[in-house]
Amino acid sequence: MTLLGIAWRNIRQRLLTSLLTALSLALGVALVVATLVTGGIVKQAFESGSGLGYNMIVGAKGSPLQLVLNSVYFVSRPIENISWDFYQQFLPAAERPDGVDGTFAASTKTAVPICMGDYYRGFRVIGTNTAYFDRLTVGDGRPFRFAAGRNFRADEFFGGVLGATVAANLGLKVGDPFAPTHGADDGKVHDPFMVSGILARTDTPVDRGVFVNMEGFYLQDGHAKPVEEHEGGGETAAVPEAADGSRDDAPHGPTPLPFAQREVTSLLLDTASLPGLPAELTAMGLRTVINEGRDGQAALPIAEIRQLLDLFVRPLELLLLLVTTLVVIVSAIGILVSMVGSSLERSRDVAIMRALGARRTHVLFVVLIEAVLLAVGGGLAGWMLGHLLVGAIAPLITTNAGVSASVLSAAPGAELLLVPFLIILAILAALLPALAAYRTDVAKWLQGG
Amino acid sequence: MATSVLELLDVRKSFTMPGGEQVNILDIGSFRLGADEHCALEGRSGSGKSTLLNVISGIMRPDAGRVIVDGIDIARLDEARRDRVRADKLGLVFQQFNLLPGFTALENVLVAMTFGSGRPDRDRAVRLLDAVGLGHRLDHRPAELSVGQQQRVAVARALANRPRAVLADEPTASIDPAHQQQVIDLLRNTCTEQGVALLVVTHAADVAGQFPRRVRIEDFNRAATVHHP
Repeated sequence: MTLLGIAWRNIRQRLLTSLLTALSLALGVALVVATLVTGGIVKQAFESGSGLGYNMIVGAKGSPLQLVLNSVYFVSRPIENISWDFYQQFLPAAERPDGVDGTFAASTKTAVPICMGDYYRGFRVIGTNTAYFDRLTVGDGRPFRFAAGRNFRADEFFGGVLGATVAANLGLKVGDPFAPTHGADDGKVHDPFMVSGILARTDTPVDRGVFVNMEGFYLQDGHAKPVEEHEGGGETAAVPEAADGSRDDAPHGPTPLPFAQREVTSLLLDTASLPGLPAELTAMGLRTVINEGRDGQAALPIAEIRQLLDLFVRPLELLLLLVTTLVVIVSAIGILVSMVGSSLERSRDVAIMRALGARRTHVLFVVLIEAVLLAVGGGLAGWMLGHLLVGAIAPLITTNAGVSASVLSAAPGAELLLVPFLIILAILAALLPALAAYRTDVAKWLQGG
Repeated sequence: MATSVLELLDVRKSFTMPGGEQVNILDIGSFRLGADEHCALEGRSGSGKSTLLNVISGIMRPDAGRVIVDGIDIARLDEARRDRVRADKLGLVFQQFNLLPGFTALENVLVAMTFGSGRPDRDRAVRLLDAVGLGHRLDHRPAELSVGQQQRVAVARALANRPRAVLADEPTASIDPAHQQQVIDLLRNTCTEQGVALLVVTHAADVAGQFPRRVRIEDFNRAATVHHP
């Protein structure tokens, strides 16, 4: 029989106390693991908003963070809209009706407009154009992939593309109609769109988006900007070209909203490099010019998110970790309490073992091994429980954070540190009863026995 | 007398009482126990019998003198080495048997082997328990055994590490008279079979009377004579 065997026997001898001690430790560890993993998922959710094929967001003046949260993560309320004319300043001559380069066209590689304000059964509706899926990327330059169907065509005014989570949660498939509501889930019901495609999962906020052709979006009630009488509605927009270059000039097709009545919520911008200037400097210059103007503001999503993480997410994560660590420490004190509680019984056993020839270090190690076994057992049970907990709330995380979570989601570095941390904690907690065992007066206990 | 397995020379042991008074418990000029010898050590309560066993087994260190166990003067050794000598060369049987309650009969014997120099030998532990008539109760815990069976486990455990001597402290004191003879027979027969010396401390004259050698502690412990006139 080894010291490990003796320690294991001692645990089995006090089975109920041992189980309760391990359980309290397991619950503490489960909380820490769940906090670590969900914290990692939240960070992943924010970090997934970068590398999507744009590096700048242009929107109405206000909070740059709100602009980023709204345009990238589809949370928070839109600040206000920017004018159609301002949007046009970012387009090259080929994409403008007047055939002249916009003011910022030289600094812009891609400008994708988005219009927000509608909802479909709890998910944000985003009016945009075909460039969203043709020119932007999922992250790391990977293009969007469709799990079913295809991108809506420019001339398909009432076509829509669903994120993977939306389609899965609502059970929609290609060809199904869906009618967004205005302003809120209980708002006025708009004309229906039709699902033309369903995106493959991206693990980004896009999974939670309902994307519709902005031409159809503009035609909904309440989406046209009111114009003064003398403006006369302005120039009527031409029907956009279809992907195959043809135009849908069917006399019965819908008429696009005039430009003067259009606004966009924000622009997702991929800035270009001006000749002789690094890309970063071009972006910084463009941002300065836009922010000094009156038409809108430019925000760098990565910088804003980093600031958000530094200011709120990381301190919050740290606070949660601190609280849950305290829970584990309290649980470890449970080991101490349990061992001190059984010290009377233990002293007799220790005295017997010492009389049989056990050295003081033997009985000290037996107590420490017992504590480590309880910590490792409770820790492993807690680790599994923590992952089961994450698995249980995974659908909620996927729906709300737009990243996939499962029982296998992990925070590898921190989780690996948890085991040595627990062992050290258990040893510290068991030190007092172990020293008591070390100092047991053999003669006194044997005579008393 | 044949070669000694145990020898005490000029051993003194005293305790300081809570009031600061120094009380001599042992003052022994000479005591020997030969190899294979079976000896009963008699004495009144408080005559220093238990202290003597603690000093012989190395649980306590004498203030002066030599305590030689199988040729090793354990009075000169540090505690860890005395523990090792106790594990390897002595087997202890207690009045209350002192089995570990959470361990089976077999495990109680194996635990003793854990602290000896050799490796725990399961086969030997089984053989020892078989020899004391408990081959069929290996997996029973002390609470599931009768008093007599517990004492048998204690005897098997005392012999676990092939000791040179077994020290038994009042092994019959907690047993009804009907079983006392069985325990004495068990101890003597088993020690004879294993070739081990036996020192039984007892206050019962009828128990002491069954041993070939019978000594009174008061006859060789001067402190007992002085302190307990």
